[in-house]
Amino acid sequence: MKKIFIFQLILLLFVIAACKKDYPMDDDGLLITNRSDCYVSAFELLGADFQTVRTKAATIDTTAQTINVEVLYGTDLKNLYPQFSLVIDAVLDPKIVGKVDFSDLSKPKEWTVVSGNRKVRKTYKVYLTVKQ
Amino acid sequence: MKQINFKILMSLMLLALCFGACKDKEYAIPTASDKLQNDLIKRSLGPNIVGGTIEFAYAAAILPEKGKLTSMTVEASIAGATGTYLDHRFYNTNNSGTDVGTAVGDPSVTTGKTTQVTYTGDFSAATLRYFYKIPEEARGKTISFTFTAKSSNGETISYQSGPHEIRNMDMALDLVAKDGTDFYLSIADMKLYNATFAAANPDKIDLVYLYRTPTNVTYLHSLVAPTADPAYLPTFTMPTGLNNKTKMVKAFTVRDQQLARIQYGVFVDDVDLRSKDFTDAPDFAINMKAEGGVWVQTADGKYNAYIYVNTVNNTTKEMRLSMKRLTIK
Repeated sequence: MKKIFIFQLILLLFVIAACKKDYPMDDDGLLITNRSDCYVSAFELLGADFQTVRTKAATIDTTAQTINVEVLYGTDLKNLYPQFSLVIDAVLDPKIVGKVDFSDLSKPKEWTVVSGNRKVRKTYKVYLTVKQ
Repeated sequence: MKQINFKILMSLMLLALCFGACKDKEYAIPTASDKLQNDLIKRSLGPNIVGGTIEFAYAAAILPEKGKLTSMTVEASIAGATGTYLDHRFYNTNNSGTDVGTAVGDPSVTTGKTTQVTYTGDFSAATLRYFYKIPEEARGKTISFTFTAKSSNGETISYQSGPHEIRNMDMALDLVAKDGTDFYLSIADMKLYNATFAAANPDKIDLVYLYRTPTNVTYLHSLVAPTADPAYLPTFTMPTGLNNKTKMVKAFTVRDQQLARIQYGVFVDDVDLRSKDFTDAPDFAINMKAEGGVWVQTADGKYNAYIYVNTVNNTTKEMRLSMKRLTIK
């Protein structure tokens, strides 16, 4: 009888150990990892027709934390969809949930990249210029 | 012992079932019904629009020894517009891929809601095509059709189709905008006008088509509202009196099949036009390309439209466009 009890206890310990969360997640259900890398690797800007409005590749300065994009003449600056490619496990804050108004060219839009371990935050400014 | 016998019995039954399941059934040619039969398919796709056509293919057949077909009749719940007919020919595709028609009688006769072909030849089976031209009075309503075939032995058979919803929108195809000639577009009229008409009727003009090739930037084929920033009107002065601030949203993959008449199965419907959001929409669409388009809302909010660019021509400075338009208020 005693042996059975000990066996059940060990089994219970196993079950508890199995349920333990080894992988912490953030509020969006994304894994929080050990990576501290924190940068933007690519940037795209789409118009209302979901076609690119860039005249050339965006210039990303990961040291100055800036993104410079030249857009086509006649671009509707009020209705643009930015797309960021980030280093692995990083997330963007705030999230992009729809179109963004870039019409005030004197005030660059800002987004913060948060590293995989959620400890490093770098704010990027996006500067737009219109081809003239 | 009893239990073991039961298990053996069950196993044997299962085995028998397995064998039964594997047995091939021999194919037997189905026996044709000796009654007059019919069938129908709707050939046209997409929203039904006033002025457009709904097309059906109606088939009927009877065993030759039982009789011949004598007539086919289609009755619509709302009389079709001029151009409604039941083709008096059935078609075969020849070796070159061309449809070759064989007449079964005289061309159809339409009386009110009914269109009929009377067979004069010796036909026991035929498929005829019915083309229903949607009349103005059907706008926003539903239409049903009754297809009826009769045979020489006195049999009659019918096939019901519908209800088919007729949309509220209008459609205009292949309007040719030419820079410097007919380049003022009226959404209300769904027409292009010249400068003289535009000057006399400035309220009617919603968009201006321009073709320009300024240095450094790409402008080419553009649609601009009369209120557009002069920066978007290179070497062009908007005539006085034109002041409609038409809202525009560019689109690229909306290749509506009825407007484009190419392979894509995309259809702009009433609900798309009604629900399109024009908040913060600009009043210009620069560098429009073939197979692109633009959603448009007139300045008074009366019409929402989708303009599709069929073709552009840099040499002749032309844009061929087609549009669907819905009256909103």
